[in-house]
Amino acid sequence: MKKFLFLSTLLFGVLFFSACKDEEETKDPGTLEVNFDNIAVINNVQQQLSLVTPGSTNYAYTNALGQKFNINLLRYYISAIELDGPNGEHYHDHMEATASGSKGYYLVDESIPASQLILLEDIPAGEYNKITFTVGVDSSGIVNGAAGGSLDPATCHMFWNWNSGYIAVKYEGQSDVSNGGVSGAETVTGDNPHGMAYHIGGWKDIPCGVFVYNNKRLSFTFDTVVKVESKEAPELHMVFDVIKMFGSHHNIDFTGNHNVHKPADGVEVAHNLEHAFDYDHIHQ
Amino acid sequence: MKKLLLFLLVALLFGACQKDELSTGQFRFVKPSHFPEPTYTFDINPVTKEGFELGKRIFGDPMLSRDNSVACNNCHVKAVAFADPQHALSLGVDERQGIRNAPGIANMAFMKEFMWDGGVYHLDFAPPNAIENPLEMDEKMANVVWKLNRNSTYPAQFRAAFPEMGDTITSPFVLLALSQYQTMLVSATSKYDYYKLGKGELSANELEGLQLFKQKCAACHSGELFTNQEYRNNGLDTEFSDEGRARITESAADLGKFKVPSLRNVELTDPYMHDGRFNTLEEVLDHYAAGVKQSATLATELRQGDFLGIPLTASEKKLIVDFLKTLTDHEFIQDERF
Repeated sequence: MKKFLFLSTLLFGVLFFSACKDEEETKDPGTLEVNFDNIAVINNVQQQLSLVTPGSTNYAYTNALGQKFNINLLRYYISAIELDGPNGEHYHDHMEATASGSKGYYLVDESIPASQLILLEDIPAGEYNKITFTVGVDSSGIVNGAAGGSLDPATCHMFWNWNSGYIAVKYEGQSDVSNGGVSGAETVTGDNPHGMAYHIGGWKDIPCGVFVYNNKRLSFTFDTVVKVESKEAPELHMVFDVIKMFGSHHNIDFTGNHNVHKPADGVEVAHNLEHAFDYDHIHQ
Repeated sequence: MKKLLLFLLVALLFGACQKDELSTGQFRFVKPSHFPEPTYTFDINPVTKEGFELGKRIFGDPMLSRDNSVACNNCHVKAVAFADPQHALSLGVDERQGIRNAPGIANMAFMKEFMWDGGVYHLDFAPPNAIENPLEMDEKMANVVWKLNRNSTYPAQFRAAFPEMGDTITSPFVLLALSQYQTMLVSATSKYDYYKLGKGELSANELEGLQLFKQKCAACHSGELFTNQEYRNNGLDTEFSDEGRARITESAADLGKFKVPSLRNVELTDPYMHDGRFNTLEEVLDHYAAGVKQSATLATELRQGDFLGIPLTASEKKLIVDFLKTLTDHEFIQDERF
């Protein structure tokens, strides 16, 4: 009898174990392609952005104050992406900042379509309905010294030397109401009579607390779940609306300071990022 | 016999190892026993002979500047402990004048922040401030990298120093090499250090100066680095054309504050202050004794009731200067590695 009990326990254990194993084997980790579509919502209609050459007086966009503007350059960092699911699924993108390269810091540039597609890999199989990410590069990209890849200070064009750290969002363009005089810009010259530069940075979330921190950690819940596993190739579409960047929490007045190069000057635009980014849709 | 042979063999091997260790030890970062722990991230960028030599070469190479005219060691000269030997304000390309005095760069491995305003948080990110500043080297890092890649010898030297780098030089490796060189510039062999470690003596005047220094100066110039690494308005001005620390913190409470400098090798690093306005240590002490100006952000250490500054008699000033000169590190400025 004892022997029978023992054998049956063993058999049950083996069956149970292999059942678990089978379940794991059927769903291998998968990928999720996260698209960042830069748009302008005009009269409730999404329009894809179009960049103009510097100096162009062709103004396709209007801010909440009725001021016309255009865009020469739009670039931002997305980093430390996390996914969560309703059943406790969790994924944190691998982060690395070394001289040989960096991982988990993505530089999205409107002029480079490939930069707007972020492929997340090795995501545990399951259902996800929430994404969280940082707009900008936090102290993890600074405190270990010089890094390469998307963080390479020589090539990213997003690094402040004087207050060493990464710009989170860089906009350059012009408005017919701006009186120009922009300095330190990539595409706009000081003699451009209508130039504008909004370089939004400020990463020091260090204890003494006097620094303006302009990076934003944002979370968005989807209206559905996205299924991730090796047999699927789902896509998540996020949007970034330049109209909301200049007018949501705060209406940015282009007749005011339009030459923004330090953290305190960028606080309002940084606050607006909470509304400028949004979840749009999922392709399963 | 066999045992003896084995013993000899082991002894030989051990001896060889030891010799190797000594020779590479010269190019390894060593913390002086009386110094605080270094702040530099040596776990990520350990100093090697190859990396150090590469950093030294870049540090002395004028190709870092737009017109190949200015190297790091134009304004950071070894003979004066890597400070600027003559100019109050640094001179860049086309004889352009900068806005601040080039400080000495000894003991950078121990500093928490860099530059007079502390705007740089990690040593790796210090050099681009000089390289890309239009008033200094007026060059772009990307262009420096391009020039280095075109050079006939740099690429191989980079690959030897950084085997993980791959074929093409990129900017982070330039910065890592420069940090390897700079972190090795440790000044800890002055007359004061030998005294501190019980291996040498100070004269009676120097000892008296040290006591006075501790009473009157060490609130800010504290510890073995002779700086508390904080920011102070030391009463030079009532209005501030250079915002100093406030430029970084964007706080009016930091207007006119600058990093408390280390006083190591201070005898050599004249002229003094962030703008190089004083030429001698005597002028500096005269300022603290009788020249401190009132302003909202003036250091509390320089307010003693109604008195502004530090009460110092003529003989006390002289004794303090006698002590300060014991911080001059002749071995450091003559070190053949640097």
